[in-house]
Order: sequence, then structure tokens, then C-alpha cells
Amino acid sequence: MIDQTWAERAAGSKLECEVNGKAVSAEITPSTRLLSVIREDLGLTGTKRSCEIGRCGACMVLVDGKPVNSCLTMAYQCSGKKITTIEGLAGEEMLHPVQQSFLEEGGYQCGYCTPGMIISVAAMLAENPKPSMEQIEEHMSGNLCRCTGYGGILRSIERAIERGGQSDDRG
Amino acid sequence: MALNQEELLRSPAVWQPRSIEEAIGMKEEWGSAAVYTAGSTLLRTQWEAGTAAMPRHLIDLGSIASLSGIREEEGAIAIGPMTTLTDCRSSGLLAEHAPLLVDAVRNIAGWSVRNLATLGGNVVYRVGDAVPALIALNAKLEWHDGSRLLFESAEEWASSSYAVPRLLTSIRIPCEEDDPTSNTKRFFAFHKVGRREAFTPSLVTVAIQGEAEEDGTLTKLRIAAGGGQTTPVRMTRAEELLLGAKPDGAGLQQAFEAVLEQYEPRTDPFATDLYRKRTAANLVVAALWSQSPSNASKG
Ligand SMILES: Cc1cc2nc3c(=O)[nH]c(=O)nc-3n(C[C@H](O)[C@H](O)[C@H](O)COP(=O)(O)OP(=O)(O)OC[C@H]3O[C@@H](n4cnc5c(N)ncnc54)[C@H](O)[C@@H]3O)c2cc1C
Ligand code: FES
Ligand code: FES
Repeated sequence: MIDQTWAERAAGSKLECEVNGKAVSAEITPSTRLLSVIREDLGLTGTKRSCEIGRCGACMVLVDGKPVNSCLTMAYQCSGKKITTIEGLAGEEMLHPVQQSFLEEGGYQCGYCTPGMIISVAAMLAENPKPSMEQIEEHMSGNLCRCTGYGGILRSIERAIERGGQSDDRG
Repeated sequence: MALNQEELLRSPAVWQPRSIEEAIGMKEEWGSAAVYTAGSTLLRTQWEAGTAAMPRHLIDLGSIASLSGIREEEGAIAIGPMTTLTDCRSSGLLAEHAPLLVDAVRNIAGWSVRNLATLGGNVVYRVGDAVPALIALNAKLEWHDGSRLLFESAEEWASSSYAVPRLLTSIRIPCEEDDPTSNTKRFFAFHKVGRREAFTPSLVTVAIQGEAEEDGTLTKLRIAAGGGQTTPVRMTRAEELLLGAKPDGAGLQQAFEAVLEQYEPRTDPFATDLYRKRTAANLVVAALWSQSPSNASKG
């Protein structure tokens, strides 16, 4: 039997959070994966679905500024949080400096890993604007790319470091 | 965004208790139909792989504030089980008192997984890569079984077959103060070998914590080996051979043989028993060889 006080402890099926600066209030079962909320409920398909077990980084988003794999995160873990997807990284007028760097340095080929890569690089540079190669490797090891051989990605990261990878409008 | 009623009925109810007592009460009420959830990264992997079914009830421990954080407490560093691996990785207290654990955590998954995953989840996993480090550090675990607190060492936990769902409430690492009159120096080593350099599941994990005199005589030594699905164990035979000695070529050869004999890895299609045994033995002797004062500069 469910204790009366416990009933108040049940995470409801209403998810209230902020996505890319906009308040979201949606009827969603609490164990739904954030990846499906973003892609299917909110239609933000920039966040990619690939391995679905936390191993590739294609589904990376920021939750309160920290990168997490949205395929591993459940809706209840996002309650009251600020979520930033690739669509919310740039400002109105300009690309985010990390996006601009990937564009200029050819940091992608098929582009499937790119949204996740950019999210991770932006989060890394927000925490540490001048990371060493060792720190870059540690922070980026959860993002896999099957095309580029990583050369272009590393060049893009170096470029983003040079221009100061921070953006003013991250969530 | 209307909710599909069928989906609602199929998906687990998520409960957010405010206290340890409430969490335990829920677990006792629902038994195996309920599962404690921390970062849920391991649970998600098990659900996706089909090795565990999604339960009817998830008891989210994230809502209990007292289960998070790292503090100094009565000669120990007390880590709340809900502390994320990222917070362990960047903790100044752990860097000062337990750099071995920081090194272990740095080698678990990748940054984004560590932002969700907790130390408690890794410990309860039992074959988590933090466990060999906690054994080498002589860490103590505090559990609540519903009626009282229970204490056991990380070593006892790893070697027990205890499956009754207790709640892990604290992980304590003893802080040993440096004796200013002593010439001993502390050392540690953590090595994880997988099939690629980074972000890799472990084939073999080895953790060592010890103390040596200036001339290299080992005065304290704890060695633990695990990796893959192998439950971490202490390499007591190698420890006994090396304690009180200055590890030289012959001594290290004996220690190598002792690890080869005592480490009993679980195999899988990726690596044989012998490969894992040799790897563990090599990692142990290489770490001890490179910390010895006569070899350090050659390492
Ligand atoms: C991509 C990926 C890579 C990974 N790489 C590694 C790796 O390199 N090394 C490694 O060791 N692990 C790895 N893991 C496994 C896992 O992420 C870690 O072991 C992690 O620390 C588990 O913590 P969690 O908080 O996510 O646990 P959860 O999944 O929430 O829980 C794990 C288990 O512990 C129980 N539990 C949690 N907290 C408590 C508590 N306080 N009391 C009682 N029971 C509790 C849960 O019921 C569950 O059975 C990886 C996982 C993924 C997805
Ligand atoms: S789809 Fe989430 S990490 Fe691969
Ligand atoms: S550009 Fe194709 S996977 Fe990275």
C-alpha cells in the first residue's frame, strides 16, 4: 500500500524545464529518455541518435551547462534544469565560435557526430578556455567520429581556443 | 504532447524520497519490483542490453541531499554515494588525500557519463573500476539495512556474494597524516588496460597504494586487481612477499608469479585468461619497479 506521504514523492508525468532558453511544460512519463523528448516531442533533430548506450556522444546536450548523453538521461533527471541543444548554442545573428571554427577548419565530413562534438567542445572551453592536449583528450574521449580521423576536429578545437570559445548566451 | 496511456502504464513509476528512511521503506514495500537509481547509467546499459528488465518502481536517490558531497570527518574523507564521478575527479580533498581514487575515476567512461554516474553506483556494481582503488585505499562502506547501519571494508564487499538490497550511505577513506619524523614516502598507481587507449571497458584494472622508506624498503602495501567482469581482489600473496623488502629483480619475479597464481580473471571472447593474468602481473611489478628509488629515473 502506498503511504499517503509517499504519494507526494511520485515524480509526475509533467516535465517542466527550460530548453534553449524557452520554458517547456510537457506531459511525459518520467522515465522517457531525454533524447526522445528532444527529438520526438520537441522536434529538435539536431541532437543525433546513434548507439543509444552512452558510447558515441552523438546525442550530447548541455544540462545546466554540463555535457550529458541524452540517451542515458531520463526526463525526471531534467526537471527544473536548463537544457541546451545544438539549436540553442548560437545567438540570433552569429554562429557560436565553436561552430564557426568547425566550419572554417573542416571539422566534419558526414557531419553526424558534429552536433555532439560541438556541444562537448563548447562545454570544455566554457570550463577551461585554454585546455592542454591531455585535457582535450580527456574531455573529448566520449565523442566518436567515424569519418575524419580527428585531425580536422583537433584543428577546429585549436581554432576555437584561439578565438576564445566562450559564447555569451549559453544556457 | 498528450501522453499515451499505455506508455504511462508500461513505464516505471519514479519515486523521490526525501530521506534514507523513506527510501528504505519504499524498497521494503515493493521488494524486487523496485530498484534504487543513482545516475542510472549502469541501469540504462543493463536495460538496453536486456540483462535486466525495467522495474515497476524506480527509487531516485538524487532527492536525498545527505547522500551527496565530500567532507573530512573523524580522520577520514567521507564521500556520499550520490557524488558524481566528475565531482570526485575535481575534488581538492580527494586530490590531497586519495589521488589514487581521482586517477581511477578519471579512467571511468568519459566526461559526459561521469557527469551523471555516481561513485555509489560504481561501488554497488562491484566490478566498477573505482572498487580496486577503494580496496587499495582500505576504504570502509556504510550501509543501511532498514533497521541499522552496517559497516564493512570495500574488500569485504567485493568478495561477498551479498545481494540483499541494502542502501549504501557513505564511502570512507582513512586519512593517514604524514609523520614529520619519518622518512617514508607514500606512492600509488592505477592502471586500466582495455582494447583502446581511452573511454574503454576494462580488461584488467590494477590499483596499488603503499609506503616505502628512502632506501626503497616497502613498509605498507595494498594491491588490488580486477577488470572486466572480474570481482576485484587483494593480491595478498604478492603483498606478503614484498612487505619489508626492497623489491629487486628476483623479488619482483616472485611477486609476478604470485599475482599470476592468485588473480583469477573472468574471461570473455575478447581476451583469454592467460592474457589477463600476465597483464595484471606485469602492471603490478612495473608499478613497483618504477617507484623504487634506484629505478625511478630509468622508468
Ligand atoms: C558508456 C558507458 C561507459 C562506462 N564505462 C565504465 C567504466 O569505464 N568503468 C566502470 O567502472 N563503469 C563504467 N560504466 C558503468 C557505470 O556508468 C558506472 O559504473 C557508474 O559509476 C554507475 O553509477 P550510476 O550512478 O550511474 O549507477 P546506477 O546505474 O544508478 O546504479 C547502479 C546500481 O547500483 C545500485 N545503487 C546505486 N546507488 C545505490 C546506493 N546508494 N545504495 C544501494 N544501491 C545503489 C542501483 O540499484 C543499480 O543496481 C559505463 C557506463 C556507460 C553507459
Ligand atoms: S546515442 Fe547517446 S551516446 Fe550514442
Ligand atoms: S564526420 Fe562523420 S562521424 Fe564524424
